[in-house]
Amino acid sequence: MENQELENGLKAKFKKNWRLFKQSKLGMTGLTIVIFFGFLAILQPLLFLTNIWDEGTYHPVVGYDSEQISRTVVECPDEYPTEKYNTKEDCPRVDEVNIRYLKAFGIDAEVGDSYFSNVQPAPPSSRHLLGTDSLGRDIFSQLMEGSQVAFLLGLISAIIGVGISTLLGTAAAFYGGKLDSYLMRQSDLVLMLPSLPFLFIISAFAELKVWHLAVVLGTLGGLGGSVITIKSQALQVKVKPFVDSARITGGSKRRIMFSHILPNVAPLALLYMVFSVTGAIASESVLSFLGLLNIDMSWGIMIYLSQTEGFIFTGLKYWWLIIPAGLAVTLLAGGFYLVGRGLDDVFNPRLRRR
Amino acid sequence: MLTYTIKRFFEMVIVFFLFLVISYLLFNAIPGNAFSSLLLNPLLPPEAYQKTIEAFGLDKPLLERLQLYIVNFFKGDFGYSYTYYPRTPIDLISERLPRTLMLFSIVNIVAFYTGFLVGKILAWRRGSKSETWITIGSVFSYTVFYPWFALMMLWFFGYKLDWFPLGKFLVPEKWYDSPYSSDEVFYTLILFTTVLSFLLFLVFIITRGIESIHNRRNARLFGLVVLLFISAIYWTNGEAELKRFYAADIAYHMILPTFTVTLVAFAGTALLTRTTMMEVLKDDYILTARAKGLSQKRVRDRHAARTALLPVVTSFIFTIITIIDGSVLTESIFSWPGMGQLILEAVVQEDIPLAMATFSFIGVLALIAHFIADISYAFLDPRIRIKSES
Amino acid sequence: MSEYALEVKNLSMHYDTLDGNVDAVKNISFNVKSGESFGLVGESGCGKTSVAMTLLQLQPENSVITDGSIKVDGKELIGLSENELRTIRWDSISIVFQGAMNAWNPVIKIGEQIREAMREHNPESSKKDNIEKINELFRMVGLDESISERFPHELSGGMKQRAVIALALSCDPKIIIADEPTTALDVVIQDQILNELKKVQELLGLSLIYISHDIAVIAEMTDKIAVMYAGSIVEIGPTKSVFESPKHSYTRALLDSTPSIHGEKKKLSSLDGEPPSLINEINGCSFSPRCPSPTSGCRDQTVEMGLVQVGEDHFADKCCSECV
Repeated sequence: MENQELENGLKAKFKKNWRLFKQSKLGMTGLTIVIFFGFLAILQPLLFLTNIWDEGTYHPVVGYDSEQISRTVVECPDEYPTEKYNTKEDCPRVDEVNIRYLKAFGIDAEVGDSYFSNVQPAPPSSRHLLGTDSLGRDIFSQLMEGSQVAFLLGLISAIIGVGISTLLGTAAAFYGGKLDSYLMRQSDLVLMLPSLPFLFIISAFAELKVWHLAVVLGTLGGLGGSVITIKSQALQVKVKPFVDSARITGGSKRRIMFSHILPNVAPLALLYMVFSVTGAIASESVLSFLGLLNIDMSWGIMIYLSQTEGFIFTGLKYWWLIIPAGLAVTLLAGGFYLVGRGLDDVFNPRLRRR
Repeated sequence: MLTYTIKRFFEMVIVFFLFLVISYLLFNAIPGNAFSSLLLNPLLPPEAYQKTIEAFGLDKPLLERLQLYIVNFFKGDFGYSYTYYPRTPIDLISERLPRTLMLFSIVNIVAFYTGFLVGKILAWRRGSKSETWITIGSVFSYTVFYPWFALMMLWFFGYKLDWFPLGKFLVPEKWYDSPYSSDEVFYTLILFTTVLSFLLFLVFIITRGIESIHNRRNARLFGLVVLLFISAIYWTNGEAELKRFYAADIAYHMILPTFTVTLVAFAGTALLTRTTMMEVLKDDYILTARAKGLSQKRVRDRHAARTALLPVVTSFIFTIITIIDGSVLTESIFSWPGMGQLILEAVVQEDIPLAMATFSFIGVLALIAHFIADISYAFLDPRIRIKSES
Repeated sequence: MSEYALEVKNLSMHYDTLDGNVDAVKNISFNVKSGESFGLVGESGCGKTSVAMTLLQLQPENSVITDGSIKVDGKELIGLSENELRTIRWDSISIVFQGAMNAWNPVIKIGEQIREAMREHNPESSKKDNIEKINELFRMVGLDESISERFPHELSGGMKQRAVIALALSCDPKIIIADEPTTALDVVIQDQILNELKKVQELLGLSLIYISHDIAVIAEMTDKIAVMYAGSIVEIGPTKSVFESPKHSYTRALLDSTPSIHGEKKKLSSLDGEPPSLINEINGCSFSPRCPSPTSGCRDQTVEMGLVQVGEDHFADKCCSECV
């Protein structure tokens, strides 16, 4: 009977919280974004499984489209700006090819001809919604793959990190004394290590695949400054009267910590977790951008490739190589953050407007 | 208070020691060493590599090297940099540090101040249209992919508009005949900025005593004008006048990176301030302040924001710790040769003495900053002050 | 200059919440003369504090005033802009909050917080003048001058409370609202504070609106009294009159439940049940579910509501006035 009541209680609580969450515009926007990317992450294997997409052509890492695209042959002028082109970079456009380039390769052509080639990267077309990269791989497919990576990485490292820091922070707050000192010094030690160089070192002697990176990021995050933050939250809970009454009625220290303090710190921990996902996604993209990871494909890798191949400084000409990936990172990280904000409204009744 | 400080100090020493050991072991764990490139050079005889290794003591076993390093470290001898031989790490750090400090102290102060202002406004205007838009803007700036954003800024302002230089902190041609080295000019700039900030702070403190709000505002404006005047005098006389041209060059190069980083960095503080303020806003004394007939703005700034300042200041101090770590990316993108680049270089090239020295530097900074944070918290909240004294 | 310092007419207000509209204040009307002290008594949740907040136009964001007028010294408050309200707050009407412990900003000294209010309404006054005035006020409430330089957490509860009264007086208001000012204090301090309040009121000729659930205190402090239940006033009249001949069942029950050291020793009587939820609309007499002697009309909720005169200047809810 008691379990039934407990379950109904939990269900009702969940329903109420969900209603509150729906109230928050920001939270719902965030959730929509997260769901959208989640959908993208699932979409890719589905497309392959149902054979809507042929793996040979559309695989994010090893795909290659052998279909040729038609381009118009033009002659690029010597002086700029002209009527058609503003600067040197504007000529030839992505759907055009410079006649001098062809002539240099010994190909005979006239201005105005249609030239068929499959020069990559190719701009967006009906076959490739977001175009292809310089190796002929479909960008949209890469985007979806990156979505999988982002979710995996983000969630795993966030869970590990917050799990560790909540446990440690609460313990530090509750047991105090030597344990507290030790944990504070430990997080000092972790804080002292500059993260980027440190990660570089790790990647130098260990292969960092997605899972490994998730664990490393999570542990680093969990053992560092967040322990201090959680500890101060737990301290505030500790001084509340109900903790004292729990002790008076004879609860053991461990039991009090788990059944009383942890549940009160948990909502905040959940919040931090959501925000950690934001950080993890951003970290991965930065690390990939610096070439420090061994992942096959992720949004960070996409940007890394476009930078090392020199497409970034071409401005908006090859936009599909830069913008989708960058935008995805921003949107998903932001999405999780907004969800966190929505949860904020739910768990912090003092902050509610009603 | 004293016992706490002493205890803390001992703990910090122990932590630092551990830190040194761990770092040293980590660096040595990287396969290869700084000189393995010598092996690839076909013009060098194979003995060259061996001789170099021996000269730098890299042939000794790990534990022996570790012991030697620690002993030497506490004697003050940090060795020579492998890649910049015969320069010592101290030499290199003192060259690079002012550059990073100059750029990133300004950036951090501006970013925090902006963030605090925005956060204040966000919390106050909860539920209004402007809140939604400012929040979206802040979230975007917080989560935007920094390397991409920085590169875009560089491309747009530096290349397309040609308003700002594309990198580095000076234009070599202008400095060709300069009697001053860039370090000297940097030192002058840093000195100037520090003194100016200190004076500004003084102006603020002194005018706190003035009762009437109107008079207080006028007094502060007056103080500002006086400071501007003093600055003008400083830069038009004596040695400073001669350096002015070069100082201006450096300052000019600082504008774009500062602007870029501030845009990305302010959001974190803004969001933190907002959250703290909102907790504070539900407190009863805010209601009392409004009942007293104070304007919304005064209640917000004088009562709510003041209490919200505490966690923001703590966060600021923690950011100082990561000042060098955070500078790595920016320095790479803007080609600003500072500490961040130095560390990355040292790590990549396996220049162990240099890497160890720079890591130690950051380590000490982190420990001290944490300590200061703990103390300043007590200072800002008089409730804690009383408790810690009893 | 109107006859009344405060005139409240047909004030109605509800809170807009997730679960529906909570009718917190239903058609409240009362007047307070200059120098008079007026008491508002009722259970927790009957709407007293909501009324107090509305008087200062400090009601929370989700509250909606649907009807009524509040006139301070003849000037209408509802509908004024924020800037106009600011000049009235504290200057004409101030408040001693419930839980005055938390009325103080913990990081600013007491004296500075009082001077802040003074500066707002008298920008020309010098710091010296302000300090002098504060010292005078402190003397009036029985506090030492040195309190000015202390932080709130350094004072005891009683001291903070007195300081709050000094704060409320700092801009020479005509009306002071005291919302349960002594609830959290022990009886000895309570007595002192109440005496100070009364002394100050008489000295300065202020109007005092005293809000409490403690009917004994109200009896001591007020000239006129209104009894609130579930958001409406069920009985209103001169304190003496209401105490000697209460005409509403609720008022009777309140008086009966107060222990007395005079008379015979008897068991404390109390009311069963709880006040009704204000979310649902209440038809008929809101008190009828708990009334010890309801008529058939009351129970059926068909009886017409409204205040009727039952004595000189003494009004009670139509329903009960007929059966009591």
